[in-house]
Amino acid sequence: MPVLYLVLTWALLGLLVGALALAARLKPASWGGRGWLWLLALGLGSSLFGGLLGFWLLGRLFSSAAALWMAVLVLCLPRLVDALRTRRGSQQ
Amino acid sequence: MDNIENNVTADRLAPPSQVRPVAIAHTLAKKGRGRRIGAWVARAALALCFLAGFYLSVFPSGRATVRALSILPGLLAAAQPPWEEPVAEPITHSERTLTSPTGTVYLDIYAPSTDAPPVPGAREGILLIPGVGDQRKDAQLINFSRTLASSGLVVMDLTTQTLIDNRLDAGDEEGIVQAFEVLQRWPGVGANRVGLLGFSAGGPLMCFAAADARVRDKVAFVTLFGGYFDAWTLLQTIGRRELTEIGETQPWHPVPYPLQVLADTIAPLMPGNDGQMLANAFAPNGRESLSPAQIAQLAPSSAAAYHLLAGDEPGLVDANLAALSPEVRALLSSLSPSRVVTQIHAPIYLLHDRSDQFVPVSESLEFAAALARLHHPYDFAEFGIFQHVEVRANSGFSQLVGDGLSLLRLASEVMQAGS
Repeated sequence: MPVLYLVLTWALLGLLVGALALAARLKPASWGGRGWLWLLALGLGSSLFGGLLGFWLLGRLFSSAAALWMAVLVLCLPRLVDALRTRRGSQQ
Repeated sequence: MDNIENNVTADRLAPPSQVRPVAIAHTLAKKGRGRRIGAWVARAALALCFLAGFYLSVFPSGRATVRALSILPGLLAAAQPPWEEPVAEPITHSERTLTSPTGTVYLDIYAPSTDAPPVPGAREGILLIPGVGDQRKDAQLINFSRTLASSGLVVMDLTTQTLIDNRLDAGDEEGIVQAFEVLQRWPGVGANRVGLLGFSAGGPLMCFAAADARVRDKVAFVTLFGGYFDAWTLLQTIGRRELTEIGETQPWHPVPYPLQVLADTIAPLMPGNDGQMLANAFAPNGRESLSPAQIAQLAPSSAAAYHLLAGDEPGLVDANLAALSPEVRALLSSLSPSRVVTQIHAPIYLLHDRSDQFVPVSESLEFAAALARLHHPYDFAEFGIFQHVEVRANSGFSQLVGDGLSLLRLASEVMQAGS
């Protein structure tokens, strides 16, 4: 049961970070109308992955902190890739 | 966004007949500016989340802070809060005994039941002496040990037959060193991540062990809570019933328990029946005083010890200390951490209740001053939320916050060894 609460905490953190990413306009324009949903899902997935990785590598006490930074890192990537693509396209 | 701004610029140049579209454009521009500010606020929040999460999980000092934060509510509330359950490691409790030259050493071990995580690869171990007397069933000690173990540490509570008998014996050092070595080899514990924590009179014993040549370079830290620095000055303060703190003298009245411990400790060194009389006078049901006829029966050195403990001759403290027998003087010296302070290599953390009635706070102040003179790494904090070494029930909110921050600082330093 405690582990379930922990997983729910990671999930909640992921959704919150996903919502923050939406507010920060990190959704790439190329993702279209449903992009916001994908961004939330990405936040959720990356947070769960980060939490799990933190749980295994660092212990359960630090898993939520690991979930947090992992989710932020992953949510920044699509926008970064998009920006790089645009820059490469404009250079060509 | 860029389109909106371009429109606004265009509208600003438009003739007066086009006022309405200009107003709409202004509103849109305001909204756009608001959204842009909102986006930057969200980006700043994300950056903060990333930095905080990264620091608290990847950097050892960050992990030590998380650990300290996780144990603080449990310590201050004297019970682990239920909301910490998801992050609390499942723990096991086991008991062991060791045989040392001074008698049996009793160990209570609280340890996480899971393997040590790959990072940092080994757990921190804390060897703890809760003080004089049999504290093994004390609810606050059990809660403290369980809270530390739940945060990933292996805690070994130690007591000896001498301590259970309300006496102090520097010879217990041998048993502590043995227990330290057992904890170093405990599954999952890092051999260089084991520290010593002594409450009250357990502190001096931890100092003797930390100065022992066999382990002094392996001790990660020494934490002393409510301990004394010099048994001689402790007896001086007890005899005068006043303490000197930063040049200021103020009345200080000890509770009966430390008097009983000191009487029981020095009693075996007294001639004839004097020791028994002294021990009886300061026993829990004793009167803490002897009649003039009983005092007349005591040897001069025994009478001096009695007057020091009873505090009935505050003006003659120095004379009474000088009249103590050479054996008692040697005992007081052997029981003083001041004797070994230069041989301790580990950093020392001192904590003391500023209105402690068991051991005066002046002892920790003297300890801190000696460490500063020696340029020995140390930290010291005074608290108002404790009664000697137990959490006070009626602390105010502001005191709880202020002392909680000091406790967090010291706990983070102690947790650094295992992070």
